[in-house]
Amino acid sequence: MSFLYKIFFILLLSTTPLLADEASDWLGKQIDVILDAYKNTAISKVDRFNLIEDSISKNFAGKGIGKFVVGKAYSSAPKKTQEEYILLFKKHLALNIASLMQGYSSQEYSLINSKYDEKNKVSMIDMEIKSDTNKIKVTWRVKKHKNRYFVIDLIVADISLIQTKRSEFNSMLKKIDGNLSELNDILRLQNESSYSKIIN
Amino acid sequence: MINIKSLIIIVYIVFINYSELSDEADKVTTTSNDFETTYNEDEIYDPLEDFNRAIFKFNDVADRIILEPVAKGYRKLPSPMQSGISNFLSNLRMPLVIANQLLQRQGKNTIESTGRFIVNTTVGIFGLFDPADKIGLEEMNEDYGQTLATWGVGDGFYVVLPIFGPSNLRDSTGLFLTAVTDPVNAYAINEGEGWIVPIRTTINAVDRRSKIVDEVNALRNNSVDYYAAVRSSYYQNRKAAILNIDDSELTPLPVISVEFE
Repeated sequence: MSFLYKIFFILLLSTTPLLADEASDWLGKQIDVILDAYKNTAISKVDRFNLIEDSISKNFAGKGIGKFVVGKAYSSAPKKTQEEYILLFKKHLALNIASLMQGYSSQEYSLINSKYDEKNKVSMIDMEIKSDTNKIKVTWRVKKHKNRYFVIDLIVADISLIQTKRSEFNSMLKKIDGNLSELNDILRLQNESSYSKIIN
Repeated sequence: MINIKSLIIIVYIVFINYSELSDEADKVTTTSNDFETTYNEDEIYDPLEDFNRAIFKFNDVADRIILEPVAKGYRKLPSPMQSGISNFLSNLRMPLVIANQLLQRQGKNTIESTGRFIVNTTVGIFGLFDPADKIGLEEMNEDYGQTLATWGVGDGFYVVLPIFGPSNLRDSTGLFLTAVTDPVNAYAINEGEGWIVPIRTTINAVDRRSKIVDEVNALRNNSVDYYAAVRSSYYQNRKAAILNIDDSELTPLPVISVEFE
């Protein structure tokens, strides 16, 4: 029996780094898609953003993150408002990430470390972005779902995008008595403003 | 005919594939554990919020008009010059970093930082170059705010200081202690060269701001509540600094963040 435990333990130890490496390889390819879109000068800014938005929509757990960010306000809202919010939030997420990656597109990056959090079943992949005078660490939090990986957070120099969004949205919801419909209106305006800055 | 069939199959596969991928993305659920956060962390004690927001607005305007354009201009300087200035300023901070490491009983870090200071001041020509990094003596940062936190002093309420940016009661106390105990500033004032202090503070602010131009713009351009986003970023950054998570990788705080040095 103890032999079986040993085998199980060895398997567990050998699988954990494998999961992290697999996630790291997958992530490297997705980041390349986004950064290559910035380097491709042949496409228009609108097409470039559409390409990045598609990639983010496929590879980020946008709905799960969106629900997490607004907490109780989501569950108490009508279905139609919820659906509208998820669409707006996904756009908001894409705009945030596109804006951030735009700044990094001319810099060199390398995936320097990856680890697997066995407890929460989440991989953490560290990316170092280097310029001549500065370096910054970005950690991607990646979750496996049905044999595919999905990004659930982006941590830039120890500041989590999702925690920041949660805090920001909570602050906004407090002002509007937790009304998700009103938040949708605010989000729509913000998305329009962010979009015009990205494409101009 | 075969080609048209192939095309239809390819288009079908691509579209179905894309739709399935997006559908799958929607099925991923998330919990607080995934993000290592709790509901309590969303609640930052900010009893002066209205007043803080007014100061924040002032700082933001000052940043847009003065600090950001200067920082962007600074980024156009040759890289070795930027690195030299950055290294020199960082080396001037070292005596206080070492003192705080000592106060936090970080024996190994204190020795390493002392070694770093000696190597960079001598071989690195008054800190203009960073040979210590190449021999494994990496930069670490500790301040009085972090020291007070490790002694068990709580955050206190959140406060936005004019020009100096986001802070809290404990870190503001730390900032004051830095201002009155910095040996380089004390020496300059004693020698009748007090003008060095504001010059040093200003260059330091520009150097730090130049390193986070993209991050601040991304946050500023895409936030539904920029004030709340910066407040949250401040607390996350400080939490990581106090717990010494990847200390050498920490970046300066967003928006105007100037320290007495």
